[in-house]
Amino acid sequence: MLRVEDVEVRFGGVQALKGVSLEVPDAALVGLIGPNGAGKTTLFNVITGLEKPNRGSVRLGAGDTWVDVTSLPPHQRARRGLGRTFQRIEVFSSLTVHENVLAAAEARRSWSRDDASPAQTASEMLERVGLRHLEHERVDMLSTGLLRLVEVARALASRPRLLLLDEPGSGLDSTESEALGDLLVELVQDGRSILLVEHDVELVMRVCHEIHVLDFGQVIAHGTPDEVQRDPAVQAAYLGTSAA
Amino acid sequence: MTTFLALSLTGLVVGCIYALTACGLVVTYTTSGVFNFAHGAIGMVAAFTYWQLSVAWGWPAPLAFLTVLLVLAPLLGAVVERVLVRPLYGAPIGVTLVATLGLLVTLLGVGFLAWPPDTTRVLPKFFEGHTITVFSLVIDYNQLLVIVTSIAVAVGLRVFFSGTRLGIAMRAVVDDPELAALAGTKPERVSQLSWALGAGLAALAGVLLAPLQTLNVTDLTLLVINGYAAAMAGRLRNLPATVAGALVIGISSSLVLGYAGPQVVNYVRPAIPMILLFVAVLFLKQERLRAGSLAGLRMPRTAGLRQSVGVGLGFVVVAGLVSGQLSPASLAIGGQGMVLAFIMLSLVLLSGYGGQVSLCQLTFAGLGAYAMGKSGGGALGLLAAIALPAAAGALVALTVVRLRGLFLALATLAFAQAMDQIFFNHALGYGGTLEIPRPRLPLVDTGDDRAYFVLLAVVFALGAIGLLTLRRRAFGRRLIALNDSPAASATMGVSPVMTRLLVFTLASAVAGLGGALLGGLHGSVSPNDFLLLNSCVLLLLATLGGLYTPTGAFLAAMSYAFFPELQKLVPELGQVQFLLTGLGVLALGRNRYGIGGQIADAGERLRSLRVHQVDRVEVARAAG
Repeated sequence: MLRVEDVEVRFGGVQALKGVSLEVPDAALVGLIGPNGAGKTTLFNVITGLEKPNRGSVRLGAGDTWVDVTSLPPHQRARRGLGRTFQRIEVFSSLTVHENVLAAAEARRSWSRDDASPAQTASEMLERVGLRHLEHERVDMLSTGLLRLVEVARALASRPRLLLLDEPGSGLDSTESEALGDLLVELVQDGRSILLVEHDVELVMRVCHEIHVLDFGQVIAHGTPDEVQRDPAVQAAYLGTSAA
Repeated sequence: MTTFLALSLTGLVVGCIYALTACGLVVTYTTSGVFNFAHGAIGMVAAFTYWQLSVAWGWPAPLAFLTVLLVLAPLLGAVVERVLVRPLYGAPIGVTLVATLGLLVTLLGVGFLAWPPDTTRVLPKFFEGHTITVFSLVIDYNQLLVIVTSIAVAVGLRVFFSGTRLGIAMRAVVDDPELAALAGTKPERVSQLSWALGAGLAALAGVLLAPLQTLNVTDLTLLVINGYAAAMAGRLRNLPATVAGALVIGISSSLVLGYAGPQVVNYVRPAIPMILLFVAVLFLKQERLRAGSLAGLRMPRTAGLRQSVGVGLGFVVVAGLVSGQLSPASLAIGGQGMVLAFIMLSLVLLSGYGGQVSLCQLTFAGLGAYAMGKSGGGALGLLAAIALPAAAGALVALTVVRLRGLFLALATLAFAQAMDQIFFNHALGYGGTLEIPRPRLPLVDTGDDRAYFVLLAVVFALGAIGLLTLRRRAFGRRLIALNDSPAASATMGVSPVMTRLLVFTLASAVAGLGGALLGGLHGSVSPNDFLLLNSCVLLLLATLGGLYTPTGAFLAAMSYAFFPELQKLVPELGQVQFLLTGLGVLALGRNRYGIGGQIADAGERLRSLRVHQVDRVEVARAAG
């Protein structure tokens, strides 16, 4: 579904990403974890086109058909099946909860051949994230955790094939977090791929098929949740002890 | 050769003054993040104050010079920062821009009030009568003073910003005020200092420019605006490039005056700085979409279809009833208010919903009037009045719509000023007029003033209902979404450029139709009807009225149209109208949604109060 190859990003003298490569297979839930400042959000920005890499490429596709989208603007990548949420919440503050999601469904109808009613799609997505009862509320009345769910519903309304979720569990209580985990598993069972950035390590370990660990802009580990948990480099990055 | 050198010297002197202006703008912008549209007006007020002290009151020139430059101007800059700018930190560019536009209008008003244009005022040159000759070129001391002062200021600023603790602190504040505060800098104090310094530089430019011409409030303000182009040459950051840009503008304008034909001298030369500004903006790179740059707006609730149609119908009925009681003069004034309100709807669409700042809406209105005048009215005329501005708007949008915020505003400013100078003055002639017929419609005698007034009310009502309908539909949501978070919109597949192009074109068409109707109301138009300054006032009023609601547009337009009548009844109002504008702008710091937003909020509070009351009654009934 997604291939990131040898991506490098520099901000002046700071190297935010160094030769990062990773792959997200079809219908897989891949975790991307790492300490603060490791470069996770920068990588999301590179994948969705908000940040231009100094080197490397981003490809979308499957099987033998891969398209290099590195030079495409964000809206064209979205039309090729990329959806995302943001670490710093980016809801449309002048719109209601329903309108936030509706705007995405309407945008999809303007560039796809999807005939589904945008209003119905919006309601379905809100139902799916458990916010249907709040659909007429203005978004500026909601808590941070609920706003993250609005973002998830909005991203889903574009019916993406690959969903990039940037800390969707932040601000949720344990019950809500568990429900979110179940939702992610369901979405993958529906055939979607997900790349998940999340600080709730328990959630990541529970739902992800494989995990990439970033530290100081580099992938320091990659494997199944069990493999990553046992990796000394990961323990060092999180606990600050020597990897040796 | 001597002519070439003399022209170059004149251009160099003017270029140096532009450089001073532009450096002041860059200093203020790089340290506070606010582009001061009133920079030229500060220079104008300083020049007149210098005249007042040195000529009218007979102070020694050096004392007057130093008092204006080192005391009054920095004090004005510091006060403006504290009262006007500081409450607006973090506000969207549209709001800060309008705030400084408000300051511009206020200072223009102060200028007209304190120094009425019926008296000719001339400032003697510095060191009058003293000259030196270099290679047969006579240079007077005044010119030398300008050149030497400009070099000293440019070098001084360079050293200040790269070699002094305060200068580096000023740069740090604009990069990241919170981080700078953590490092021990006081961002507010630094910003205030930068505004004081910027105002001092504006004053220096104004005082040095004034002896080169007759003192005139508007001319002085606009001449200093030419420095904007130089500031853009340095991309509002680079001082050496800014100075170089200023010299190119000054010298090229002077050489064109000496060598070009009369047509070019009359029409193109005054527009050279604005053409260069437009070109400089065109070469800017497309702004990257950034996450985390939310507009953070909370727009007033949008009325439903039934409510807006009901209010619209009521509005037309009231207009019909009132029209029977109005004198022909009042019908004309009320009609003007209706048309201006209709043109302001284009700003509600473009700036309110779309978040794009345009300073050229009256230019499109002028194009609409021109198309109507040339096509002789009728259905074809109306079509042309919509199509020509829409095409021009699309063309402008294609070149500048990839830009946002300040740079888009500057591009539209340059377009408006260049069109004033090149197109309207040429097409309508200096001081000339073009007859504009009223549209011919079946069943309506548009030649009758009363019928035309009611027609204008119908047009405004339809425009408002259409606008609210658009706001409630997919395109409206897309605009709001793009305004709120361009990054999130793009990641849902919305093309920011295409959406902005569409809304810019639509808004130009609305303004064009309004211009044609305005021309029809008065029977003719002149170049003065579509001046850049009038477009600025239009945006200012629309913002004060409330840029997010048709109600705000209507209130702003009507108060503008009827103010002169009110002034006849209460002459004292003339003294305070600019003060009122200033107060209105200050209020933006507290409520950026204007009067229309206040009304919508009050309505919402009333509605929720009623809902609570109904709830209480039902609870009481249920309780038995």
